[in-house]
Amino acid sequence: MSELQVGMSVPDFTLTTFEPGSGGFGELSLAKQKEEGRWTCLFFYPADFTFV
Amino acid sequence: MGCDIVTVSTDTQFTHLAWQREEKELADVRYSMAADTTGSLAKSFGVYLEAAGLALRGTFLINPEGTLMNAEVNFLNMGRNIDELMRKFKANLYLARKTDEGCPSKWKDDGDKTLTPGPEMVGRVHEALNE
Repeated sequence: MSELQVGMSVPDFTLTTFEPGSGGFGELSLAKQKEEGRWTCLFFYPADFTFV
Repeated sequence: MGCDIVTVSTDTQFTHLAWQREEKELADVRYSMAADTTGSLAKSFGVYLEAAGLALRGTFLINPEGTLMNAEVNFLNMGRNIDELMRKFKANLYLARKTDEGCPSKWKDDGDKTLTPGPEMVGRVHEALNE
Protein backbone atom coordinates (compact mmCIF):
# COMPACT_ATOMS: atom_id res chain seq x y z
CA MET A 1 0.00 0.00 0.00
CA SER A 2 1.42 3.38 -0.95
CA GLU A 3 1.85 5.96 1.75
CA LEU A 4 -1.10 8.03 2.85
CA GLN A 5 -1.20 11.58 1.61
CA VAL A 6 -3.30 14.54 2.72
CA GLY A 7 -6.57 14.38 0.77
CA MET A 8 -6.64 10.58 0.71
CA SER A 9 -9.16 8.39 2.45
CA VAL A 10 -7.65 6.73 5.54
CA PRO A 11 -8.27 2.95 5.60
CA ASP A 12 -10.19 1.81 8.68
CA PHE A 13 -7.99 0.68 11.57
CA THR A 14 -8.40 -0.38 15.21
CA LEU A 15 -5.91 -0.07 18.07
CA THR A 16 -6.05 -1.10 21.72
CA THR A 17 -6.03 1.91 24.02
CA PHE A 18 -5.53 2.86 27.63
CA GLU A 19 -8.35 5.13 28.86
CA PRO A 20 -7.18 7.38 31.70
CA GLY A 21 -10.77 8.44 32.42
CA SER A 22 -11.82 4.94 33.42
CA GLY A 23 -8.37 3.56 34.22
CA GLY A 24 -9.07 0.63 31.91
CA PHE A 25 -8.39 -0.52 28.36
CA GLY A 26 -10.49 0.26 25.32
CA GLU A 27 -10.36 0.35 21.54
CA LEU A 28 -9.93 3.08 18.97
CA SER A 29 -11.76 2.29 15.74
CA LEU A 30 -11.77 4.69 12.79
CA ALA A 31 -14.96 3.04 11.51
CA LYS A 32 -16.65 3.85 14.83
CA GLN A 33 -15.34 7.44 14.78
CA LYS A 34 -16.88 7.87 11.30
CA GLU A 35 -20.17 6.33 12.44
CA GLU A 36 -20.32 8.82 15.29
CA GLY A 37 -19.42 11.76 13.05
CA ARG A 38 -16.29 12.62 15.04
CA TRP A 39 -12.94 14.10 13.99
CA THR A 40 -9.88 12.08 14.95
CA CYS A 41 -6.49 13.57 15.73
CA LEU A 42 -3.66 11.02 15.77
CA PHE A 43 -0.74 12.36 17.78
CA PHE A 44 2.27 10.05 17.24
CA TYR A 45 5.28 10.24 19.56
CA PRO A 46 8.36 8.03 20.02
CA ALA A 47 8.12 6.57 23.54
CA ASP A 48 6.54 6.71 26.96
CA PHE A 49 8.73 7.76 29.89
CA THR A 50 10.73 10.10 27.61
CA PHE A 51 10.63 13.87 27.24
CA VAL A 52 8.70 16.07 24.85
CA MET B 1 -15.78 19.97 20.17
CA GLY B 2 -16.48 16.79 18.19
CA CYS B 3 -12.80 15.85 17.94
CA ASP B 4 -11.01 13.03 19.69
CA ILE B 5 -7.31 13.42 20.29
CA VAL B 6 -5.58 10.06 20.52
CA THR B 7 -1.90 9.78 21.35
CA VAL B 8 -0.09 6.88 19.64
CA SER B 9 3.28 5.25 20.25
CA THR B 10 4.69 1.77 19.77
CA ASP B 11 4.46 1.18 23.52
CA THR B 12 1.82 -1.27 24.81
CA GLN B 13 -1.34 -0.19 26.58
CA PHE B 14 0.29 -1.43 29.80
CA THR B 15 3.18 0.99 29.50
CA HIS B 16 0.70 3.79 28.73
CA LEU B 17 -1.14 2.91 31.96
CA ALA B 18 2.06 2.91 34.01
CA TRP B 19 3.27 6.18 32.50
CA GLN B 20 0.01 8.06 32.98
CA ARG B 21 -0.15 6.87 36.56
CA GLU B 22 3.47 7.79 37.28
CA GLU B 23 4.20 11.06 35.45
CA LYS B 24 2.59 14.04 37.19
CA GLU B 25 2.59 16.02 33.93
CA LEU B 26 0.00 13.52 32.67
CA ALA B 27 -2.22 13.52 35.76
CA ASP B 28 -5.02 15.48 34.04
CA VAL B 29 -4.91 13.51 30.78
CA ARG B 30 -8.30 12.21 29.67
CA TYR B 31 -7.61 11.37 26.01
CA SER B 32 -7.16 7.80 24.74
CA MET B 33 -3.59 6.52 24.58
CA ALA B 34 -3.28 4.02 21.71
CA ALA B 35 -0.79 1.14 21.46
CA ASP B 36 0.63 0.72 17.95
CA THR B 37 2.92 -2.09 19.07
CA THR B 38 3.62 -3.50 15.60
CA GLY B 39 4.12 -0.01 14.18
CA SER B 40 1.68 -0.81 11.38
CA LEU B 41 -0.37 2.36 11.85
CA ALA B 42 2.77 4.50 12.07
CA LYS B 43 3.99 2.80 8.86
CA SER B 44 0.76 3.57 7.02
CA PHE B 45 1.23 7.27 7.88
CA GLY B 46 4.91 7.21 6.92
CA VAL B 47 6.20 8.02 10.42
CA TYR B 48 7.71 4.68 11.43
CA LEU B 49 11.48 4.79 12.07
CA GLU B 50 12.43 1.25 11.00
CA ALA B 51 15.86 1.21 12.68
CA ALA B 52 14.52 2.36 16.06
CA GLY B 53 11.07 0.73 16.04
CA LEU B 54 9.62 4.08 17.13
CA ALA B 55 7.29 6.67 15.67
CA LEU B 56 8.31 10.19 14.64
CA ARG B 57 6.42 13.16 16.10
CA GLY B 58 3.57 13.18 13.58
CA THR B 59 0.14 14.75 13.95
CA PHE B 60 -2.66 13.78 11.58
CA LEU B 61 -6.20 15.24 11.47
CA ILE B 62 -8.88 12.95 9.99
CA ASN B 63 -12.38 14.28 9.28
CA PRO B 64 -15.61 12.38 10.09
CA GLU B 65 -15.70 11.09 6.50
CA GLY B 66 -12.30 9.47 7.02
CA THR B 67 -10.29 11.86 4.82
CA LEU B 68 -6.82 12.94 5.96
CA MET B 69 -6.98 16.75 6.11
CA ASN B 70 -3.67 17.74 7.77
CA ALA B 71 -0.26 16.25 8.45
CA GLU B 72 2.70 17.59 10.43
CA VAL B 73 5.85 15.61 11.12
CA ASN B 74 8.84 16.65 13.24
CA PHE B 75 12.04 14.80 14.04
CA LEU B 76 12.37 13.25 17.51
CA ASN B 77 13.91 16.24 19.25
CA MET B 78 11.29 18.84 18.39
CA GLY B 79 7.87 19.17 20.01
CA ARG B 80 4.74 20.35 18.29
CA ASN B 81 2.91 23.58 19.09
CA ILE B 82 -0.54 22.88 20.51
CA ASP B 83 -1.86 26.38 19.67
CA GLU B 84 -1.10 25.61 16.03
CA LEU B 85 -2.94 22.30 16.31
CA MET B 86 -5.99 24.09 17.77
CA ARG B 87 -5.81 26.68 14.97
CA LYS B 88 -5.81 23.94 12.34
CA PHE B 89 -8.67 22.14 13.98
CA LYS B 90 -10.79 25.31 14.23
CA ALA B 91 -10.01 26.13 10.59
CA ASN B 92 -11.10 22.63 9.57
CA LEU B 93 -14.42 23.01 11.40
CA TYR B 94 -15.00 26.46 9.87
CA LEU B 95 -14.13 25.32 6.33
CA ALA B 96 -16.36 22.22 6.63
CA ARG B 97 -19.26 24.69 6.94
CA LYS B 98 -18.01 27.39 4.52
CA THR B 99 -16.95 25.25 1.60
CA ASP B 100 -16.31 28.16 -0.80
CA GLU B 101 -13.90 29.98 1.53
CA GLY B 102 -10.23 29.66 2.42
CA CYS B 103 -8.43 30.48 5.68
CA PRO B 104 -5.35 32.65 5.00
CA SER B 105 -2.11 32.30 6.97
CA LYS B 106 -3.08 34.86 9.63
CA TRP B 107 -6.44 33.23 10.37
CA LYS B 108 -6.66 32.08 13.97
CA ASP B 109 -10.30 31.80 14.93
CA ASP B 110 -13.91 32.21 13.82
CA GLY B 111 -14.45 35.83 12.86
CA ASP B 112 -10.99 36.38 11.39
CA LYS B 113 -10.68 37.42 7.76
CA THR B 114 -11.16 34.67 5.18
CA LEU B 115 -10.86 34.65 1.39
CA THR B 116 -13.52 33.60 -1.11
CA PRO B 117 -11.46 32.64 -4.18
CA GLY B 118 -12.76 33.52 -7.64
CA PRO B 119 -11.53 34.96 -10.96
CA GLU B 120 -11.85 38.57 -9.74
CA MET B 121 -9.34 37.82 -6.95
CA VAL B 122 -6.58 36.65 -9.32
CA GLY B 123 -3.59 38.97 -8.77
CA ARG B 124 -5.69 40.95 -6.25
CA VAL B 125 -5.18 38.97 -3.02
CA HIS B 126 -3.59 41.98 -1.28
CA GLU B 127 -6.73 44.03 -1.87
CA ALA B 128 -8.95 41.14 -0.77
CA LEU B 129 -7.04 40.73 2.49
CA ASN B 130 -7.10 44.44 3.26
CA GLU B 131 -10.65 45.41 2.27
